[in-house]
Parts: sequence; structure tokens; C-alpha cells
Amino acid sequence: MSLALRDKFMLVVAVLLAAVYLFPLYWMYVTAIKTGSAMFASPPSFWPSDPQWGIYGSVWESRNVGRYLWNSLIIASGAVSLIVILGTGCAYVLARYRNVWVDIGLFLILMLQVLPASLMITPIFVGFSQLGLLDYPRVAVILAIAAKSMPFFVVLVRATFMSVPMELEEAALVDGNSRFGAFFHIVLPLARNGILVSAILIFMQAFGEFVYSKSMIQAIEYQPASVGLNSFMGPNTNEWNNIMAYAAMYVTPILAIFVLLQRRIVSGLTSGALK
Amino acid sequence: MRRLLLSIRDGRGFDIGLVSVPLAFLFAMAGLPLIYNIVMSFQEVDMFSLGTFARPFVGFRNYATLFSLPETWPILGNTAIFVVASIAGQFTIGFALALFFWTGFPGSSWLRGLFLVSWVMPGLVVGAIWNWILSGDFGVLNYILRESGLVSGNIFWRSDPDFSLWAVVIANIWLGISFNMILLSVGLSAIPQDLYEAAELDGANVMQRFYTITLPMMRSTIGAIIALGLIFTLQQFDLFAAITAGGPNNSSNVAQYWAWDMSFRQYDFAQGATISVIMIVFVMIASVVYVRSTRHEVRG
Repeated sequence: MSLALRDKFMLVVAVLLAAVYLFPLYWMYVTAIKTGSAMFASPPSFWPSDPQWGIYGSVWESRNVGRYLWNSLIIASGAVSLIVILGTGCAYVLARYRNVWVDIGLFLILMLQVLPASLMITPIFVGFSQLGLLDYPRVAVILAIAAKSMPFFVVLVRATFMSVPMELEEAALVDGNSRFGAFFHIVLPLARNGILVSAILIFMQAFGEFVYSKSMIQAIEYQPASVGLNSFMGPNTNEWNNIMAYAAMYVTPILAIFVLLQRRIVSGLTSGALK
Repeated sequence: MRRLLLSIRDGRGFDIGLVSVPLAFLFAMAGLPLIYNIVMSFQEVDMFSLGTFARPFVGFRNYATLFSLPETWPILGNTAIFVVASIAGQFTIGFALALFFWTGFPGSSWLRGLFLVSWVMPGLVVGAIWNWILSGDFGVLNYILRESGLVSGNIFWRSDPDFSLWAVVIANIWLGISFNMILLSVGLSAIPQDLYEAAELDGANVMQRFYTITLPMMRSTIGAIIALGLIFTLQQFDLFAAITAGGPNNSSNVAQYWAWDMSFRQYDFAQGATISVIMIVFVMIASVVYVRSTRHEVRG
């Protein structure tokens, strides 16, 4: 078998594997545009014969998807801003020095990274309600998400800072820059891409966050899209085409960002978690 | 004062300032709740004492109550099944895919990256899609299983107590395959190629090369990935909320969902905190294994 033929064969198998793996995603989009009767047809049709494009408009109106997505956007942006502002400096210091304190700090940060949100929510909820923070539910969720995701961000961005040559910063210091100036004018611009990719990763996670929002936001007008989707799915629901349309509107922006930045996101992810 | 300002702008104070604010934030938002959680697990907490710190201490009574509940051991058993089955499925399929893509062909890295789509999707959306796929009467999975002759009647994945836990396991395996595969690919690409060339010259076949080169070279990577899988599986909450909500009759309930359910459905915050403390101890043990196996990375 020639090499080119083998390549083609492998490529076909790979595309089939990817198609099988991504079938749930396809099923979401197909179900969304099916009619009520086509949805429950047996055998199910794998290609929509009578696509109902109007469903997106009607679900958008009836379920207030715009408001839910707006809340998700506010919560995710708030959490990411807080994480980037606080986490970048922390990652820089942890990358620049190598001593026992840095090791201890990194160890503590890695330990915080693993605490499950559904277990931390009990003390956070009780504590926040005692402090009165639950009167500002979205702020409370932003703070909780920031604490949950910052360790991951610090680990990723630290790897980026480690790849910035220290000599560049030293040269800037010799040239009369202050530490402050060298950090903002030399180191930060060089690490910009890594910080951006990590921030996007954190954003996508925060955009889908559920546990904290579900537990701390009681008022419907402040709930994000994940909580909205959860309340849409009753135990005996049969509106699956509407639910899938909602899910499609929720997930499509994230998928678009992912496909555009796929290569960078994959390399950013792998650099932090393992070496 | 001037010296302090100068130090913050251009000296040790700059580093200390950068690192102390985030650490203080993390301590306030993650460290203190952790301590508070332990304190609450030794207290009597109800809706009336929720607003005060002065709650009566009850010693180990919350723990004793917890283990006298009839559902405790079944739920802990479910947690163990969920973790072991999820990791076994994710790891096996992920490893197989990683080995397949590792052979290298045009477009392999792009296609491999496409699998990571599942990782960026909101957990609730993944849960909603699988909820529909696994639906008893009209689910597409039952249709495929029926047509291929694997089952004769419909399986009621979500409402049959024998299958409800496995419904969530299936969805969680799907979710975890991608990250297992990507991280295993990173480990595979770090193995020097000349090892394989030498083995091939010596006449080792594919299986021998796998068992004598690939597996031993991947040992620390595999350890780290299984520990990471354990951590992620114990964090899985959204799929339970979206597919079975722990039901029917706790047959698909696991500890991390149960802790939330105790606090926010039954308003028993003391029990919720008690379950949390027990589970956090488990997660901590897993994370020590993880940190140890990636230690060379941590040290830089």
C-alpha cells in the first residue's frame, strides 16, 4: 500500500470517528428545526425534511433567551476581568522566582483548583448570605467563579511567562526602566497572546457555569442561560425541539470562538495541565 | 512612606504587591469557606440560625446522623461506580483515539483538536442533549441499539433505577474522552522516535513495542491523567442536574450532587457541609497524587 493511499484511508477513518463523536452536537441542531411530529417519529429521520427555521425566533421571544444570555455575558465578563487583573501579576511573580515560597504558593493554588464547586457552594452560600452579598446575586456569583477559576488561569499564564526570556527584562532594567515600567512595557506585551488565550478559555467556562448561579441567584431576571435551560427542562417535558433550539442559541457563539481559535486553545490547554 | 511607594514601584514591594492581593482574595473566597465548611459540619444549622455565627456545637453528631441514613452507603457506592466507570471509559477510548491520531496523517492534528469541542460546551447543554438522546420512547440511542439488534425493547435510561446511573456515566464518558485524548497525545509525542526505530530493527512487533516502549514511557503521564480524571469526575455536577437530578429514588445520586441537594433542596446545611467535608478529603488525596506526578512541571 502506497503512503498516499494509507494517508487517505486514515483520513477517512478519522473523519468517521469525528462524525460519530460529534453526532450529539449534530442531533441538537437537527432536532431544533424538526416539527413536533417529526421529532417523535419512529424511525427518527436523520435529515430534517421540513425545517422549521422560525423556531429560533419564537423560542428567543417566549423564553427570554436574550436576557439569559446577557446575564451569562455579564457574569462571565466580570469573572474574567477580575481573574485577569488579579491572576496575571500572581502568575508573573510565580514564574520569575524559584524558591521554597513559590513552591508552597503553587502547591496551595493547585490544591484550590481541584475543589468541586458543588461542595464549596454550601459554605460560600451561608457566608455570603451572612455578609449580605446575596443582595447583589450576580456580584456574588462573579466572586465565587473568580475564586474557582483563578488557579487554572494562574497555572496557564505562568507557563506563558516562563517562556519570556528574563534577559529582556534585565536589559530594560539596565536601560533605566523601573520594575513597574519593565513589567508593563516589556513583559506584558510579550505574554499578551498567552494571557488572551487563557482568558478566552476561562470565559467559555464561566459562560456555562451552573452550580453557583443556580444556588445564589433566586430572581429570574438575573439568572444566566444555564439556569434558564435547567428550568426549561422539566421532568416530563416533550418540547425537545424548543429545548434544543435554546441549547443551540446558547452554545453556537462558544463553538464559533472555539473553531476560530482551535489551534491556540488546544496548545494553551495542554501547556498548563501537563508537561 | 516615600520609601514604601518607591519599593512598590521598583523593588521587592512590586512582587509582593502583585502576589499578595490575589492570594488574599483566594484565601478569602476559597480558604475561608473551606474552614467554615468544617466548622459548620460540627454545628447545628437550620433556617433560623443561618444568619448568625453563634450556632450550637454538636460534636460529631452530624457525622453520626449521616452514616445512620439508609441512603448514605448506596450513594457512596454510586459515587465509586460513577468514578471508576467514567475514568475507565474515558481513558480507554481516549487512549485508543490518541494512538490512532498519533500515527500522523494530513489533517490529523486539526481533526484531533475538533474533539475538544465537548470540553468548551456548557455542561448543561451537554446534559440537555444527552437527556434527549437517552430518552426512553423516542431517544435516538435506543433506536440505534434496537436496529443493531443489541436490545429487543426500549431501555428507559433515565427512569429505570438499574440504568439511571449509567445514563450519566455515558454522557460523562463522552465529555471526558476529548481531554483524555489530548493530554495523552501530548505524552505520546514526547516519546523519542528512535526508540521505536531501534525496536523495529530488533524485530519487535506492534504489540511488543506498545507494551515495552509506549506504556513504560507514558507511566507518569498516565498517572497524572487518571488523577486529573478523578478530580474532574468528582466535580461533575451539571450532568446530574440536567439528566436525572439524582433520581429515581437516589439510584443515580452521587455524593457531590447529594451535598448540594441536602443544602439547597432539603435546606439541611449542616448535612450538606458534612458530606462536603468528607468528599473534599477524597479530592485532596487525588490532587496530591496529581501534583506529585506533575512535580517536575511545577518546579519549572
